[in-house]
Amino acid sequence: MRHALPWLYLMAAFVFIYLPVAVLVLFSFQDGNLPVPPFQGPSLRWYADILGDDDLTGALAHSLLVALGASTLAVVLGFLAAYGLARHILPGSALLRGVLIAPLTVSYLIVGLGLLIVLTRAGLGLSLLTAGIGHVVINLPLAFAIIYASMGAQQQNAERAARDLGADEARVILLITVPMLAPAIAAAFFLSVTLSWDEFIIAFLLTRFDVTLPVEIWSMLRSGLSPRLNAIGSLVFLISVVVVLSVELFFARGRRS
Amino acid sequence: MTQTARGWGFVAPALLWTFAFFILPLIVMGAMSLATLDGRTLVWGLSLANYAELAEKAYLWRAILVSLEITLTVTIVSVLLAYPLAWIIAFRVPKRWQRLTLLLAILPFWTSYVVRSYAWLLVLAREGVVNQTLLNLGLIAEPLTLANTRFATITGFVHFFVMLLTLTIYANLIQLSPNYRRAAMDLGASAFQTFRHVILPLTLPGIVTGAFLTFVLCIGDYVTPQILGGNTELTVPQVIMVQLGRRADFPLASALAIVLMGIVTLAYLACARWLRLDRI
Amino acid sequence: MNRLPSFLLCSAALFLATSPATAQQELNALVWCDHTDPALIEPFEAAHNVKVNLREYEGTGAALALLEQSRPGDWDVLVIDGIDVFRAVEGGILAPLPEDALPIADFFPEVVMAENNTVDGVTYAVTEKFGYNTISYNADKVDPADMQDLATVWSETYQGRISIYDYYLPLIGLAAISAGIPTAEIGADDLDAIGEVLSTMRGRAASVAGVVAAQTALATGEVDIVVGGGEWLTAVLAEDQPELTWTIPDQGAVRWAQSIGIVQGTSQPDLALEFIKYITSPEGQARLATSSCFWGMPANAKAGEILTDAQKAVLRWDEQPGYLARTQLYPAPDTDLDIEMQDLWLNTLQQ
Repeated sequence: MRHALPWLYLMAAFVFIYLPVAVLVLFSFQDGNLPVPPFQGPSLRWYADILGDDDLTGALAHSLLVALGASTLAVVLGFLAAYGLARHILPGSALLRGVLIAPLTVSYLIVGLGLLIVLTRAGLGLSLLTAGIGHVVINLPLAFAIIYASMGAQQQNAERAARDLGADEARVILLITVPMLAPAIAAAFFLSVTLSWDEFIIAFLLTRFDVTLPVEIWSMLRSGLSPRLNAIGSLVFLISVVVVLSVELFFARGRRS
Repeated sequence: MTQTARGWGFVAPALLWTFAFFILPLIVMGAMSLATLDGRTLVWGLSLANYAELAEKAYLWRAILVSLEITLTVTIVSVLLAYPLAWIIAFRVPKRWQRLTLLLAILPFWTSYVVRSYAWLLVLAREGVVNQTLLNLGLIAEPLTLANTRFATITGFVHFFVMLLTLTIYANLIQLSPNYRRAAMDLGASAFQTFRHVILPLTLPGIVTGAFLTFVLCIGDYVTPQILGGNTELTVPQVIMVQLGRRADFPLASALAIVLMGIVTLAYLACARWLRLDRI
Repeated sequence: MNRLPSFLLCSAALFLATSPATAQQELNALVWCDHTDPALIEPFEAAHNVKVNLREYEGTGAALALLEQSRPGDWDVLVIDGIDVFRAVEGGILAPLPEDALPIADFFPEVVMAENNTVDGVTYAVTEKFGYNTISYNADKVDPADMQDLATVWSETYQGRISIYDYYLPLIGLAAISAGIPTAEIGADDLDAIGEVLSTMRGRAASVAGVVAAQTALATGEVDIVVGGGEWLTAVLAEDQPELTWTIPDQGAVRWAQSIGIVQGTSQPDLALEFIKYITSPEGQARLATSSCFWGMPANAKAGEILTDAQKAVLRWDEQPGYLARTQLYPAPDTDLDIEMQDLWLNTLQQ
């Protein structure tokens, strides 16, 4: 019995974790107008419905665009800052690290609200770009922290060797530091994309006509109960799972080789 | 160019970004919280009227209490549920299956966040899966009211944060050298003593960091309580959105945001000893 | 690591793919969600070869703040709660509307609402759609006769089986009607009496719910009554669960109306007017009435010639004269009273 206990716990935990997903996916195949019991179907009509919805597919593209753009910028800025702080002696470097990490301790709602006030006062129109700016703010501390944490003495020695052989700093960074830190950079980028792609409140406050997927889903949610929501939720989950598994396989192979 | 100047050159872009789009907005928001609305015209000034309103209006200070109660419950329950899960994955599941099990345990993390709350609404509904199962098992005679309650909000939150915390705690546990456990056991410690005096202290920074992130994300979240909570009690983010929606009362919304930041700062100070935010 | 550049290329490609291929005239409209239905917008886009950019919003305050902080010309058309037209006019946000160009003569007379849409003799907006905040219920679970009297709706019989729609103005209106106070005459002195009714209502309710939560609660049997509901709430449910229906109690109920107008400073007033003409035309009205986001009665009675009999049955077309006579527009408070009402509402929720 004592040995069974951990396995029972594991099973119970999995039931809890997968319960909403299972219900979501099941009723996405509902052959009726309401995603509530009894289950009728299966039917693919709601999938056909959402795939034919230009607003949704547009929002999906916008989400990808914002996530990839904001994550790229966050990782570049985070990497440069991590390199500067790890490789150069700067006065008050602990304080600088603190400032760069600080957005992590502030709720997304507050980041979004602050930006909304400043951007509109400055007369800048809201767009996907402003939502992207907000996403860089929340992703930069994570990217910085992850890359900074992986900067060790190992790369430093390789960098020094390269410099002794006459490489300038730009080359050292591009040819030595970046490749050696590739796993951390990729992890930071992947985490950023994950968070930005699914972020709601900042995108909600800072976009105008073109909205991201979570904002579009939010307005669908406000417009009424429908299995369309289940279908779009299941589809997003499917896409994410495929991406996560490919990333995992990519990393797993990388570890083995 | 000196070394230091070069160093600044690398840090400057990120620093400028943080100043322009994070610190400056917070300063403006702080100033905004001291402004007032005359009708719909914004009057800048140094008025504490918005903060006074927080004390005077029952629904405002109640919102702060509700937010605190929910967030603390969620943080504690999530840690208590996630720790055993991470432990089992790290020490009971065979090595070759560990990564897969962990990945499966956090996979629903990637369902759309807005949709996830909505899915819980369907699960907890009167004719939802939970009630049907309990009824079929004969554990209850009447369906329970689960959706649109604080219980639902907490369940939705815990679901999300258990996944997040399992990941962070697992990462901590596998970094522990098995030698610690072996040494403690060799010295005659029981399994519980080993946990209490060796494992727990060593994993505490990881737990506290995860718990702190849970606290920050949970107290500032609008979607989960809005969809699941039944609106019979409002959290601070919900009240902020109400202020923005009907009246565009940016000053009061800013004051509420500042209070929220104050609470997070207190939480930060309370666990600063163990926090490792720059080593996530 | 050749991945970053390829991601960059990827995002550049996406960016190109999402920007319009040809420079086309664009119309920017700040709207309610029923206007985002492609079935409504696409015919206009095709007829005028324009692209209509739509942004939904949730509260009048948010919309007005957005408009005030925009540059002139950023916005062309605004859809706004009928009772808030005066706020937009006060803020200098709406431009005068040439009412001769619009089919107001064909409107249901009760919903022309000149007192709301006209300020100092100048018309700034026209009503486009209306409906009721009243009682939605499950006819299998409650006695329909009980639903005809507001006092029995939130009586002890239905303790815990009620959900309240989460918007304070119509709910305060309903509470006022049940307390015998006409909604147009609500003053600060009446708030105590209204507050008592709201308290009772809140005490009986299982939840206070937005659209989806209220629909889920009704459809899954969580609650049997939604106070503040109406055709816009139950129309989508009725097809699968015909027992979910709505009524207007004998005391009456609250009527909502949305108006549409041209934004001051628009660079294309003619196109904006064309859009409003389209929306208020019988064709536009029929499409707006049956929009995918929510259904509601068209302001233009001529839309009845285009709507199908089934659609008219759902909208209860033939009963409109009686409904219009028995319902009152929901309260239109000035700023101070509005603050007091909202505080009353939030305090009642947070009990």
